[in-house]
Amino acid sequence: MLLALALVAAACGDGGGGDTTTTSADDTTTTEGETPTTAGETTTTGGEPMVCEATVGFIGPVTGPVAFIGEVQLNWFNYALDTFNAEMSYSFQSVEGDNQFDTAQSATLAQQFLDNTAMVAAVGPAGSDQVDAAGAVYEAGDPNFTFISPSSTRSGITAQYTGMFRTVPTDDDQGPTTADFLVAQGAENVFMVDDQSSYSTGLADSVEENLTAASVTVTRESVAQDVTDFSALVGTIPDDTNFVYLPWQVAANGQIFANQMAEQGKEAVIFGSDGMDSDDFTQAGSYIAAFAPDIAAIEGSQSILEGYLAEYDDTNTFGPPVYAAARVIFEAIARVCEAGEVPDRANVQAEVRNTDQADSILGSPISFTDDGDLAEGQFFIFQIQEDGSKTLVP
Amino acid sequence: MENFLQQTVNGLTLGSVYALLALGYSMVYGVLKFLNFAHGEVYMFGAFAGYGVLTVLGGPSALMVPVWAAVALMFVASMAVASGIGLALERFAYRPLRNASRLAPLISAIGASFFLQAAALLLFSANSRSYEAPELIPIDTAMTVGPIDVWAVRILVIVTAVVLMILLTWWVQRSRVGKAVRAVSFDSEAAAMMGIDVDRVIVVTFLIGSALAGVGGVMVGLVFGRIFHLMGFVAGLKAFTAAVVGGIGSIPGAMLGGLLIGFAEAYTTAYISSTFQNLIVFALLITFLLIRPSGFLGRPELAKV
Repeated sequence: MLLALALVAAACGDGGGGDTTTTSADDTTTTEGETPTTAGETTTTGGEPMVCEATVGFIGPVTGPVAFIGEVQLNWFNYALDTFNAEMSYSFQSVEGDNQFDTAQSATLAQQFLDNTAMVAAVGPAGSDQVDAAGAVYEAGDPNFTFISPSSTRSGITAQYTGMFRTVPTDDDQGPTTADFLVAQGAENVFMVDDQSSYSTGLADSVEENLTAASVTVTRESVAQDVTDFSALVGTIPDDTNFVYLPWQVAANGQIFANQMAEQGKEAVIFGSDGMDSDDFTQAGSYIAAFAPDIAAIEGSQSILEGYLAEYDDTNTFGPPVYAAARVIFEAIARVCEAGEVPDRANVQAEVRNTDQADSILGSPISFTDDGDLAEGQFFIFQIQEDGSKTLVP
Repeated sequence: MENFLQQTVNGLTLGSVYALLALGYSMVYGVLKFLNFAHGEVYMFGAFAGYGVLTVLGGPSALMVPVWAAVALMFVASMAVASGIGLALERFAYRPLRNASRLAPLISAIGASFFLQAAALLLFSANSRSYEAPELIPIDTAMTVGPIDVWAVRILVIVTAVVLMILLTWWVQRSRVGKAVRAVSFDSEAAAMMGIDVDRVIVVTFLIGSALAGVGGVMVGLVFGRIFHLMGFVAGLKAFTAAVVGGIGSIPGAMLGGLLIGFAEAYTTAYISSTFQNLIVFALLITFLLIRPSGFLGRPELAKV
């Protein structure tokens, strides 16, 4: 029994939740600091001081198969909230929800958020399937509820939900960008495996269509996300394949695939979609698509990154779009207050729609199309180095 | 030919794991005539026990002991933890329902399965873990078999499974307790009248079946890498399929069924499409249940008239 307890403790000790404090969606977390008295107050037309107050939600996969995304996203959300409150002397509150990358959990959390009358908007969910689950609840319950996904890239999804916006480009950008890059690298035979999720199949369709149009031979396969043995599949990769394209969301599976390729002497280069952009995938020489740049290389974003890293240990490309999304919401609420109105779901959504940031943490302007997509979206490609670091491919 | 050989090795590796899991299903069915649907979760806990040992020993890149010792300890720990869980299941989830209708322990088994999944979620979180076996045993540590190189980890998995299956066969055929297991499996009432302690035999059956599942968990961690709290569900269903195909209740049948399912998956992926992998496996299950429910080596049920 002691052995069992020791092993359980050891297994729990690694890869856990980090030092992030996650609060259940049932509870409300107030950031440190007292409610402002004079600062943060807005004067109404009647001359009465009005405190600008609002609650903003966060839904992300803080635990689960893609916890590396959710942990960093939650950290960036909290960092955005803390810094905005400090900057403006506001006391916006937050409610955090962990959907474990699960659609049912996403729908449940969305309903909880809708039921919370103080909540005017939310950041998340991360994945397109989870956005679908939450979006249907928001749309049916209150189309004025605004939610900004910091990592959902499926094309056309924003058109389905009145209140949906996103701070990342779409697969309409990722597919052609990926295909163009592979063609430029001399791809002639590409082996492509989708993971049977709507994110993956949609992206694979887009890349396949663009590659086929460029006369590249594509071999398409499909495998479920919960499979961990790809050895038979790897065995079917034709010898003349020069690229393997994996539009997957579980990066650890990508590393298993790479190991099994090495085991069977397959030398094709792996190109992973943005879902594989994680420390779980470290195959040297492989390429990764990312919807956000390396903000360390953006002059105006360096101080934000330094501030973030002073409080949190880890970041990746999934973080900065959360900061951007949170800032869009916070600034929209602030504009509502400055106009002398009490923030509610309708006026916050109207202000989010009017967002016109000349610059952002992502190094590019943020404004939205009528559907809620980024007006100017762009994908980036990185190559993984021997030491695991990633270099931006020009 | 090279591809066929490679796919055969792939199928053999996967089949070895399914065979070890299927043995647990078959042994329990043999003595109790019910399906332990929590067996996949026992295998999952075995995988996490192996991971726990690996972590305690410093991780794959900084081991404090030789690799062989680490792997041996992982197997021992996984067997110990899996056996403990198997015994607890038998004592608390199944024994109180021994004389209930056949449906009751089945429902209890499904409940136990979800309980163990939830327990693993709480204990280990939903994050997947990796054994990072290539750091433990480099991929170029391989044996050349004709035109292909077979990674040492695959050889370890296949050899371990074969050795365990031989030992189990010997134990069931030759040892005193093994004979008692066969007697209870054949007719538990008659066995009890002959002085065999049926409760003890059932406990031993759970202990051994669960230990084999624990070994299977570590094997999967070593050869495929990723382990997570839901890994037992699909693996358990496939092992159940293997037990049915081989003949549920039959130990050689479980071995044969496991290997057949492993080969079916590998060859389907190689020569049809990976999309149809699960479809083919579960079509086999339905086909056997409809056409030959006793499987290849099972005993047809006789009804008194």
